[in-house]
Amino acid sequence: MDDELAEIADFLAAHPPFSELPEQSLQALPRELTVRYYRRGSVLATPADEVKHLSIVRAGAVDVHDAAGALVERVDVGGSFGVTGLVQPPPYGFSVTALEDTLILELPASSFHRLVESSAAFSSYFLLQQAHRLHAAVQSVAVSDSGTAVLKTRLRDMVTRPPVAIGPQASVQEAAQLMRSERISSLLVQDPQVVGIVTDRDLRNRVLADGLPPSTPVAQIMTPNPTTADADTLAFELLLSMLARGIHHVPVTDGQDLLGIITSTDLVRLEQSNPLYVVQDISRQNQPEDIALATARLPDLVERLVAQDASAEDIGRVVTAVADAVQRRLLILAEEKLGPPPVPYCWVALGSQGRREQALGADQDHALILSDDVTREHDAYFADLAGFVRDGLVTCGYPPCPGDVMATTPRWRQPLATWRRQFGEWISEPTPDAVLAATIFFDMRAVAGELELCTRLRTGVLAMTPNAKIFLAHLAKQAVEHAPPIGMFRGLVLEKEGEHKSTLDLKHRGVGPVVDLARVAALAAGLPQVGTQARLDAVAAAGGMSAAATADLKDALEFIAYVRLRHQARQVRERGIPDNFVSPEELSSFEKRHLRDAFGVVRTAQGVLAGRHPLGYIS
Amino acid sequence: MSWWPIGANAQRRRVQRSVSEGPLRDYLDVPVPANDTPAEQLPLLAVDLETTGLSARTDRILSVGFVPVDGNVINLSGARHIVVRSQGEVGQSAAVHGLTDDAVAAGVPLAEALAQLLAALRGRVLLAHYATIEQEFLSAACRAVYGHPLPVRVVDTLELQRRLTTTAWDDPRAGSLRLGAARAAHGLPRYRAHEALTDALSCAELWLAQSIALSERGQGRLGQLAR
Repeated sequence: MDDELAEIADFLAAHPPFSELPEQSLQALPRELTVRYYRRGSVLATPADEVKHLSIVRAGAVDVHDAAGALVERVDVGGSFGVTGLVQPPPYGFSVTALEDTLILELPASSFHRLVESSAAFSSYFLLQQAHRLHAAVQSVAVSDSGTAVLKTRLRDMVTRPPVAIGPQASVQEAAQLMRSERISSLLVQDPQVVGIVTDRDLRNRVLADGLPPSTPVAQIMTPNPTTADADTLAFELLLSMLARGIHHVPVTDGQDLLGIITSTDLVRLEQSNPLYVVQDISRQNQPEDIALATARLPDLVERLVAQDASAEDIGRVVTAVADAVQRRLLILAEEKLGPPPVPYCWVALGSQGRREQALGADQDHALILSDDVTREHDAYFADLAGFVRDGLVTCGYPPCPGDVMATTPRWRQPLATWRRQFGEWISEPTPDAVLAATIFFDMRAVAGELELCTRLRTGVLAMTPNAKIFLAHLAKQAVEHAPPIGMFRGLVLEKEGEHKSTLDLKHRGVGPVVDLARVAALAAGLPQVGTQARLDAVAAAGGMSAAATADLKDALEFIAYVRLRHQARQVRERGIPDNFVSPEELSSFEKRHLRDAFGVVRTAQGVLAGRHPLGYIS
Repeated sequence: MSWWPIGANAQRRRVQRSVSEGPLRDYLDVPVPANDTPAEQLPLLAVDLETTGLSARTDRILSVGFVPVDGNVINLSGARHIVVRSQGEVGQSAAVHGLTDDAVAAGVPLAEALAQLLAALRGRVLLAHYATIEQEFLSAACRAVYGHPLPVRVVDTLELQRRLTTTAWDDPRAGSLRLGAARAAHGLPRYRAHEALTDALSCAELWLAQSIALSERGQGRLGQLAR
């Protein structure tokens, strides 16, 4: 007996995410479906419904509207709807109407959930769809200035590098090698006009899977005449069209010029780095206790971002943006309570928040730069202001700084002129302990108030640091002090004693040294960047480090930070307190191998730095 | 269909009285839906046969495809495709249905194929496109296996399509009633023809579209749809 429903299986095989399912599960899937037909104009679902199927459009098209009546999405052949209803408790919240006579394949909820569990490609496809749906819904209720990144950003602003192209006669092996060396997932085929595009997926599905030789010309397996998008298209429009067409790479054109390629990952990243919802919520609260309710969602937000494979850098920006928003809101509440400030001030974030690299569970590190017009009588006001913000931050889950580096400490609440003298002292008359204590002040970023005060201070500081050889040598010494945990034979070395025995300290021995290296290099070149990745890029651009070494170091940082984030997300999920100590049992052999490589890169960079800032004559 | 004028139920009762235990008797023991059953509640079984030719007397059934339809929902879990083992050669008909002599040799005996079909057909109305073929071949098969014809209610999607396209001025254009053309007229996708299960599914989907259109015209009850 042969019960194969070939027409249905072939249809599913031609449309993502079903096309990503293994052959066996694809062939068995049609038997789990039911089929329905709807006349044009008929209603397939209402907002009050409980959704029991994923609906796949086999023929025709439907419109999905939200409860307020705004069009959220138009789904045509191969597309599906009902995911929101399957992953969230009822009611569905959307209405679905047949735009044409429409034939629907229904996949029962139980089958949907089984596939989500068993296939990463299947689940990530619908996560993306979910993200889009959510934002479209937000768009319809949001006021004009609070739209999300994906709704406001134009492709022009997203292209990060010019496209890489290859000739149509080049072999697929040459294409793969070029993609590897350029670290990209797609290539344009030019002759000399663009005639096609080749992606990672093509190399798998059209070369490997079909057993074609490495010498096969690219022209034979490329997708000819790829869909392109205009540079002024909004990111969400492209997201819609990519979902509808099931494509993941789109060349962006500006008239005759080709600007670059946007991938679906770029679009997801755009969304993930946008903490809009939490931040918006924070800015509406009128009590520290209510702000705390919003910040309590931060661990879940991070966990979700980790699950969605957002980069550690993006997650650091999200966590920082939330901290910034909390401080800005607390300052507004403080001013409402204490009255307007007697003289202008600038509230600055220090350390990881300053670098936009904050992790979960970070301490407070902040300071106040006051206008030089400040008088002794004014200090009580700023002491109260700082006290209000510090207490509010504690309420919101940010522990006070154990070293009292907070605006509540009089020494860290000073007029601009005093700050200048303080930095001058650190830079010109460095003592090892003072430099060690002061490093976080060199990662300073204005958060609220008169931003100009911070800019003026930093401009002066950066003019001094390139020539401050001894100061730089102290910083460099500090940067190489913590050796990455790899042994003679490049095995991982675990902490030997203390509370965290037999773990890897990813902060002090992994992320920390890279942060320190980037800081020294940036200050030595007088560069204004504060973030570690940005500092490394700027140093490379200024010729202070080779492009290859920079890329390696950025990758190493990203990987170590990613492992740390995964570890912290797991702790959060288990309702623990996030820390930096990863035990080797948590790591796969793949992760261990890459961590060893990453630590190796950090150690090499430390060696280069030690040679550049001779430490001998200060120690 | 010589028995038809005396009425479906009368014939059904007559066969029921004389047929002994077995798949045909089990099928007859489950009553068919009443004439006033609305289309959206009607249980049907879409059936397609691939045969060696068009004559139920001289040609043989090569394969059976069927899929249950409950009103306006097709349940693919009940879909079956059964290749029938047969003594003779497939001959030139292989060019149409693609079943080779080897495939047919690997099939099940006609009696078993018929038993499976009758089990699926219990309490259901037979649905087919140009149902005369299915009705005649199945009836002939039942005579051969059980000694009795097959009493069955039939809905024919070709007839329904004729009804939907015939106007006071015009007969349907030549070819417009074929399964593929009828489907296209309802916005249904193009399927490969002449594979029994695919054709049964094609017919079932066409029924979903037709039954809605006919219900809108007040012709949505079994008595109005069956022949």
